[in-house]
Amino acid sequence: MSAPDSPPELPPHLRARILEAVRSEPVVPRAEGTRRSALTMALGFVAMTVILLAISMPNLRGRPLAYVEVLVLVWTPIALAATWAGVGRGRSMLGRSRRWLVATAVLTPVVLLVSWIPVTTYWPETLVDTSKTFHHVRCIAATMGLALGPFVAFTLVRRGSDPVSPLLTGAGIGTAAAAWGALMLPLICGFTSPVHMLVGHFLPILLVAAAGAALGGRLVAVRAKTE
Amino acid sequence: MDAPAFELALELAAALPRVARDTSLCVEQRGDADLAMERYSAGDNAAFARVYDALGPRLFAYLFRQTRDRTRAEDLLQQTMLHIHRARDRFIPGAQVTPWAFAIARRLLVDSTRRGRREVLGDGTDMDAGVAVSPRADDLVQASQIAVRIELVLASLPASQRTAFQLIKQEGLTVAEAAQVLGTTVAAVKLRAHRAYEALRAGLGEIGVGDESGAADPETKLRAEALKP
Repeated sequence: MSAPDSPPELPPHLRARILEAVRSEPVVPRAEGTRRSALTMALGFVAMTVILLAISMPNLRGRPLAYVEVLVLVWTPIALAATWAGVGRGRSMLGRSRRWLVATAVLTPVVLLVSWIPVTTYWPETLVDTSKTFHHVRCIAATMGLALGPFVAFTLVRRGSDPVSPLLTGAGIGTAAAAWGALMLPLICGFTSPVHMLVGHFLPILLVAAAGAALGGRLVAVRAKTE
Repeated sequence: MDAPAFELALELAAALPRVARDTSLCVEQRGDADLAMERYSAGDNAAFARVYDALGPRLFAYLFRQTRDRTRAEDLLQQTMLHIHRARDRFIPGAQVTPWAFAIARRLLVDSTRRGRREVLGDGTDMDAGVAVSPRADDLVQASQIAVRIELVLASLPASQRTAFQLIKQEGLTVAEAAQVLGTTVAAVKLRAHRAYEALRAGLGEIGVGDESGAADPETKLRAEALKP
């Protein structure tokens, strides 16, 4: 049997070959990259706003103005936190740990739901509405549509960057994007009953997270570049 | 166990690259890689050569050990370095480069294996399976036989244990760095490496290297202790 082979010397020609390959594929420095990432994120949110306005102009539709205002005020930091946790990489180039990403994907919809309960109980008239299945489905589609812009932006910012847990990172990205979609939806949706909120507003967060996980392996993972 | 023989065997199994044998050099190189990558991401184009010099030998050794194929190891090293280069615009100041680089190399190896391009390793689904241990001459010295035995024992281990052991013992990563590469916790990596270590002890005991009394020297005990969860 052979003894374990010691690795051969690193050939000098390989160094020259790799450095030449690097020179032939220029990449901008971090400062420019940060500007581009910020622009990408901004465009994602602009796209979300455009989609929102394309669906409908913001409208109270019989709800108290304060209900909508409080909901947006409460959910905005949650969406920001989900973005920080699900899209950001922290201080490591390897991104967040698996536990962190799972917690983000699981807790974000839960926290949104839990924070909605006191708001809706404060305005008990919002607990009842006339929503039907059609309205639930419409809000599912709207949430997913609103999440599309942030989702694309977040994915572009994190593309090809995760060599360890791309599926979970994809789920984190999907969750963060869907949280923004869920935040925007009350601006145009007049239905507020628990069933409608659960099915039309919170369920799509899980769906977008699942879509993110499914796409993560392709979009976020470190993959060999096909020549 | 005969502690000196066991230690010798571990050293042989480790087959550390020359540049990585000296711990102080490893630390210096990790620092070099981090600083060079920071300079590179800040706009110093020439710094990538320093990144390569700091990481290339260790990554090549790792990839060669996994593939036993020089050409494939070179190709994977080039891909790994290009990924590091492409992340120039997104590098996080202060981030550790070494575990990140090993994680990229490992991921590319997995992809390559899944595409069926791997010639040496097992069934194509387990990137760490089937480490090449082809029989050779009869004139092997005992140390070589021990080393081969270690290779066999390593090959028989679950991939998670083997990889944890290899990253720590062969590639010179710290437990924390190996945990980052594998995307798991430090405790899990310690447990896996400890189990691999114990399996090696048992495996070497079967061929009469050392005894089973556990009368290892203090250094051996220290190493085993360090790997305990």
